[in-house]
This record gives sequence, C-alpha cells and structure tokens, in this order.
Amino acid sequence: MAERRVECTWKRHISEQLKLRDQVQRQAFEEIIHQYNRLLEKSDLQTVLSERYQTDKYDVQRGHEASSGADSNRSEALQQEMAQMRIKHQEELTELHKKRGELAQSVIELNNQIQQKDKEIQSNEAKMLEYQQQITNLEGDCRELRNYLQDLERANQTLKDEYDALQITFSALEEKLRKTTEDNQELVSRWMAEKAQEANRLNAENEKDSRRRQAKLQKELADAAKEPLPIDPDDDIEVLAEDGGKGGGETSPNRPLSRTPSKKISQPPPGGLLDSISNIFGRRTANSFSTSPENTEAPSGGCAEVRVPSTALHVFEAHDGEVNAVRFSPGSRLLATGGMDRRVKLWEVVAGHCEPKGALTGSNAGITSIEFDSAGSYLLAASNDFASRIWTVDDYRLRHTLTGHSGKVLSARFLLDNARIVSGSYDRTLKLWDLRSKVCMKTVFAGSSCNDIVCTEQCVMSGHFDKKVRFWDIRAESIVRELELLGRVTSLDLNHDRTELLTCSRDDLIKIIDLRTNSIRQTFSAQGFKCGADWTRVTFSPDGCYLAGGSADGALYIWNVLTGKVDKTLDRNHNSAINSVSWSPSGAYVASVEKGSKAILWSDM
Amino acid sequence: MADDKDVLRDVWFGRIPTCFTLNQDEVTEREAEPYYLLLPRVSYLTLVTDKVKKHFLKVMKAEDVEEMWFEYEGTPLKWHYPIGVLFDLHASNTVLPWSITVHFKSFPDSDLLHCPSNSVIEAHFMSSIKEADALKHKSQVVNDMQKKDHKQLWMGLQNDKFDQFWAMNRKLMEYPTEEGGFRYIPFRIYQTMSDRPFIQKQFRPVSPEGNVHTLGSLLKEMYPAAIPSDGEQKRYQVMIHGIEPLLETPLQWLSEHLSHPDNFLHICIIPTPTD
Repeated sequence: MAERRVECTWKRHISEQLKLRDQVQRQAFEEIIHQYNRLLEKSDLQTVLSERYQTDKYDVQRGHEASSGADSNRSEALQQEMAQMRIKHQEELTELHKKRGELAQSVIELNNQIQQKDKEIQSNEAKMLEYQQQITNLEGDCRELRNYLQDLERANQTLKDEYDALQITFSALEEKLRKTTEDNQELVSRWMAEKAQEANRLNAENEKDSRRRQAKLQKELADAAKEPLPIDPDDDIEVLAEDGGKGGGETSPNRPLSRTPSKKISQPPPGGLLDSISNIFGRRTANSFSTSPENTEAPSGGCAEVRVPSTALHVFEAHDGEVNAVRFSPGSRLLATGGMDRRVKLWEVVAGHCEPKGALTGSNAGITSIEFDSAGSYLLAASNDFASRIWTVDDYRLRHTLTGHSGKVLSARFLLDNARIVSGSYDRTLKLWDLRSKVCMKTVFAGSSCNDIVCTEQCVMSGHFDKKVRFWDIRAESIVRELELLGRVTSLDLNHDRTELLTCSRDDLIKIIDLRTNSIRQTFSAQGFKCGADWTRVTFSPDGCYLAGGSADGALYIWNVLTGKVDKTLDRNHNSAINSVSWSPSGAYVASVEKGSKAILWSDM
Repeated sequence: MADDKDVLRDVWFGRIPTCFTLNQDEVTEREAEPYYLLLPRVSYLTLVTDKVKKHFLKVMKAEDVEEMWFEYEGTPLKWHYPIGVLFDLHASNTVLPWSITVHFKSFPDSDLLHCPSNSVIEAHFMSSIKEADALKHKSQVVNDMQKKDHKQLWMGLQNDKFDQFWAMNRKLMEYPTEEGGFRYIPFRIYQTMSDRPFIQKQFRPVSPEGNVHTLGSLLKEMYPAAIPSDGEQKRYQVMIHGIEPLLETPLQWLSEHLSHPDNFLHICIIPTPTD
C-alpha cells in the first residue's frame, strides 16, 4: 500500500509537471502563434493584392491618358469597340453552337458505339455459353478417356505380370539349358579323354608291334648276315643309295608324308604319325651321314654340299619388264620366276642352263612372290591384283584363286602342312586360308603393310613397313612378340632348322635373329650394298652358312655367316637393281632376278 | 494505466513556442518578418521547419540561399538531437518564446551535420531505434519487424501521428515479465559544459540484488555531482522533456514512458539558474 502510494507520488509529480510545462510552454502561446500566423498569411495576401491593384491602377491610368486627348472621338471609339465586341461575342456564340452541334453528333456516335458494344457483349455471352457447353462436353470426353486409360493400364498390368511370370520360367529353362550344356561338355571332354587314352594305347601297341617287327627284321638280317652270301650287302647298298639320292634331291621333311603309302619299306602303321616321322628322320639322317655319324648335329640337315657361286652360268631374258620373284623348286630341278608381265615362268635347270618349260598364266597384275609347296607339286604366287593363286606344276593349270585382300598381296606362303596358306598384304592385314575348303579362315589386322611372311609350325612371322617384325600364333589372332628394326622390313627367310630368321631392311642391313633367344645374333652389311626396293628378297644358303642378297646397283653379295664378312661380290652381270635371290636346295645354284628383264643363274663352275 | 497513456500523450504532444528570425547578415530584398511556430519536442528541427524556410525564402534571392541552419545565442543547433533536448540544454529557464536565428550562409561544417533531405533524418532516426533495441532486446524485436513496420514508425513521427507511431513502438517497449525490465536502459545524459557530447553507458534497470534502479541510482553511477548532498543547495537540474522527475522514479518506467521516439531516454543536466 505504501509502495503504491510512493509510486503515485512520483507518477503524480511527473504528470503534474508535464501539465505545468504544457501550460507554460504550450497553451500560453498556442493561440497567439496561431493568430500570428493567420495575420501573417493575411498580410501576405494583402501585399499580393495591393501589388496587383497597383499594376491595375497603373494600366488604367495609362489608358485614361491615351483617350483623354480626343473626347469626341471617345464615344465613337467606344461604340466601335462595343460593336466589335458584339461581333466578337456573336462569333464566339456561333462557334459555341457549332461546337454543340459537333458534340451532339459525337454523342450520337458514341450511343451507336455503345449499342454496338452491347451487341458484341451479347454475342460474346452467347459464345461463352457455347464454349461452356463445349467445355462440359470435353470434360465428359475427358472422363471417358480417363476411364479407358485406366482400363488399359489394368490390362497392361496383367500383361506385365504375365510377362514377368514367363520371364521367370524362361530364365529357369535357360538355367536348365546351361546345366545340360555343361553336362554335355563334361561328357564330351570325358569322351575325348577316353579317346586320347585309346589312341595312346594304340600308339603303344603300334610301337611295340613295330619294335617287335624291327627286332625280327634285325634278327633275320643278322641271321642272313651270318649266312655267307656275297650278293646281299650289294643289294643293301643299292637300296641305301636310292634312298640317299632321293633324300638329297628333295630335302623337305614332309615329303614322306605326302607320298607315304606307296613309298617306303618298313613304314610303321599310320596311327603314330609323329613317331613315324621321327623314325624316318632318324633313319634318313643316319643314312645320309652314314660316313660321319658323329656329325648329326650339323645345321645343314639333309642337304648336299653348298657351293658358293662365282660365275654367271646363264644370263637370260626372263620376262617382259621387271622380274620380282624367283624360287627354286624343292627338287632344285625347276626354277620359277615371276614378273610384272603377270606371268610365272618355269625353267628347267639342265647342265647349267635354264630351258623354258612353261608359263603359268591367270594373274591380272604383276607377281610379287613365289613359293613351292614342300612336295614341289604346287606353286603359290602372290599378285598385285589383290589375289594369291595356286597352280599345279605338272600341268601348269590354275587351281585356286584366293581373293579377299583389299590391297596388293606382297607375300604368300604355305604353312608346313601344305593345306593352309598365309598371305600378307598392302592392306595391312594377314589372312589365313584353308586350301581344303578354299576359304579365308582368319584375318588379323597387323597395323602396317606387310612386306614378307615366313612360317614355322605354330608361328607366323611378318615383316612390316613400320620397321617391325611381328610374331603371330596361328591359333590365336594376337601378336606374340614384336621386334623393331631400323628400317622397313623387305624380306624374311628361315634357315633349314627354323631356328634363325634372316631379315633384310631398308637401312641396308641384313640381320640374323635367333628365334630361341629372340634377339639379333648377327648383322651383315657391305660397302655398296643397298636395298633397292621394299620387296628386295635375300636368302639363306640351304645349310645356313651363307647369305645371298642383291643390291640396288646390280651386285650380288654373298656373306659368310661364320665370319660375318662378305665372301663374294658378283657385280658384273646385272645392269639394274636385283629384286630377288634364291639358292637352290641342292646348294649348287643361285638364281637372281633384277629390275630389268634379266635373270641369272650362278654357280661355282 | 490510463495515467501512463496520458503521460505518453503529453510527452508526444509537448510543444515549444519558437520565434525564428533571419540572421541580420543575410541579404534580403525587403525586411523579413519573424516567424513563430510551436515546435514538437520529440521531433527534429529540419523535419518541422519547412514552413520557416518557405517564409524566409520569400524575401531572399534564390542565388543567396545555401543550406539552412539554426543557431541560438551563438550556438549552432544540432538537428540530429531532438528539439526538446536542444531546448532543455540551451534555453530552459529563459524567456519564452525561444528565439532561434536562421542562417542560409556559412554552414558550420565542424559543428553540424549536413541534412540534404528527410531520408538522412530517417536513417539517423532508424539507426537510433536499432541501437536502443540492441541494448534493450539484443536487436531481437527490431529485427523481427518488417520493412513496412519500420516505415510505420518513421511515418508516425514525420506526420505527428501518435496512434500510428505507438501501435508499432509498443512492441519495442515490451519485455519478458520475469526479468523485470530491459537488458540495458538506453539513455543519454547531456551537459552544457562538457567536451563530450553525452554520456552513454550500459546500465541495467534492476540491481544484481534485485532492487529496482531509480533515476537517482543512475545519476549516482553516471554523474554524482547532479545529486545534491544533504543540506546543500541544489546545483544542477535534471531535465527530461522539460520537467524534473523525482529521483526515486524507477528507471524502467522512465525508459518506457519518457523516452523520445528514438527509444532513448535523453536526460539533460543543466546548472540551476542563480536567480
């Protein structure tokens, strides 16, 4: 209570003070100031008014002074003025009447406009009604369509469900199929395994059989030897001589295969193929080197002695125009040359001379490479007309044309089974052909134009424009290895054992690559040896101890592999760049062909 | 509370009779009449003197007119102080009406701020309100207001609309009941004889012991000389809105009711007149 009273005290004090303040400061002056401001405004107004009157007065005085001069004229003037004023007013009046008329006119027009607008409004309303109707109709349609859509969706849903169910069934069936296939595969593999075992067993039996027979034979021979008959050894020698002669003539290891059945004396049954081959080899090697059996390791294999050529036995015009390719047949008896005149010509080498034997025609462009099959019965030539062709040597007939490349074919080779061919082309692909079905089995993209190809059992080696030698696995399509040289690779050749690869490249270097270590073993060059073209071919001698290569200036160089030096330079007979060189398998001859039309047969005689 | 409303109303409608006379150095075409006006205490000089300007421009050549400023007995009047503060500080206990000299030349740049338009006053006014609310509520209230609410406060002051102003200002005066007042009381203590323009510090409405702070306790803290010791002659007057509240008046109540529209409690301490 006391507090409240205290509160009241200060509060009352403040309001009282405020009241007092207002009394002194506000109310005392409010009225005065208000009145003062009014007076001030009034006086301002007065000033303004008085100023205006002043000017009026001045004007009137001036007018008065002007007219006071002529009193008589004044009334007249006044009258005149009046008349003028009346006229003026009348004019004004007519003007106004006119205006009124105009206004009335505009009123009518506006009325018309209003009526028009009313009409428009009515028509618009009618239209609106119409549209309303349309809207309701459309809404009805909409509803129907929506219902229809719902139905469709429902149908779609059911279909989807069914589809899902089918999908599930399908996947289950697929799973089953997969399992069945797996089973099948397993069964097949088991079956294969069984087969293999069976084959092994058969081989073993065969071997046993053959051994038994051999033992028997030996025993018989021994028995026979014991018998003192002088004629028998002679017979034996004759058989051996016949055998050796044949072996010397045709060095191909596959020869016995191609002519097996009729040929040999103690041939094992054909079941153990490999065994039989090794048998034959063993036998043959033993036969041909019977004089020095400790020398079986020599690289020359079954070939006769190699003679380094020193003289041109026969210089002859081989083709009309450039001669690109030359190759001896496996028997060394035939020489094939191919030229830009689209022919492959066969020459028989008789007593140091080449007798024309026949021409193989059918190519539509220049021949780039020639190869005989290992039996010497087929001849394969690659051509600039994008195809490779096969002729039979005996009757000169064209057997197959292998088309499919989209660029000129620069090299084509038989694989070792003689049933497949590999060709390399300017179109940067390699193709594998099967001769039985005559189709292209594989095409691999090498990435660069292929200049030459050689093959071993499983590996194809290709020399390329981009300076690389590529190694391919026949079964896979992939590059196994690559080896980069310093120049475009023009030529590849293998020695007899297929352990060394000879390369020639545009940097004028010839190299031997050891295929087992996959490294360059030796490099050959010579002062003046220049590689004349991208398809300049060089060759190993049959025993692999020499190399022959032709230079751009027409000189034939023979290198000795053992010394690594040039053994011979034969630069007198060719007049233009040598394109290709071939060494006869017998070792006795070398043939070279040149950019002109000549071919030369060399020997040491 | 009816009394409180009356106090607010009285504070708002406080007027000072003023006589504006043109400085004699001004070049005029004819003699300038003095102009009398009741100035609202809570407003700003440049906001309410359009009429004065118009009145004197009538007698002056347009080329002689520069920015208008006011002066009282040699002291340039700061337009950014409320009119009531200017009067209490410089002219209380003098004869009414308050006689202000009007200048149109030689603007005292060192003493006064330029005031080219009302938007400058508005900016000043709003910044004061925001500062006060920062002290009172950590700016929460003013930040919650919308742009149009700010505008309403300003338009209320500009057009002298008490109800329009207080409809919005009421929110700024609220506080949570459990705290018994604002965080700090926004106040400024002005003195005539001081280099400092004014004293402004943080001061809570309630002491840490829970006692209510009064005007007396504020002065004791800020300006002890203003409180007369026992038996001594009163040396200073403590003026708020032209009155001297009792020293036991609670500070919170003063802040709520006797603050200017800029939400500050402007206190003038002036020497007691000798006569």
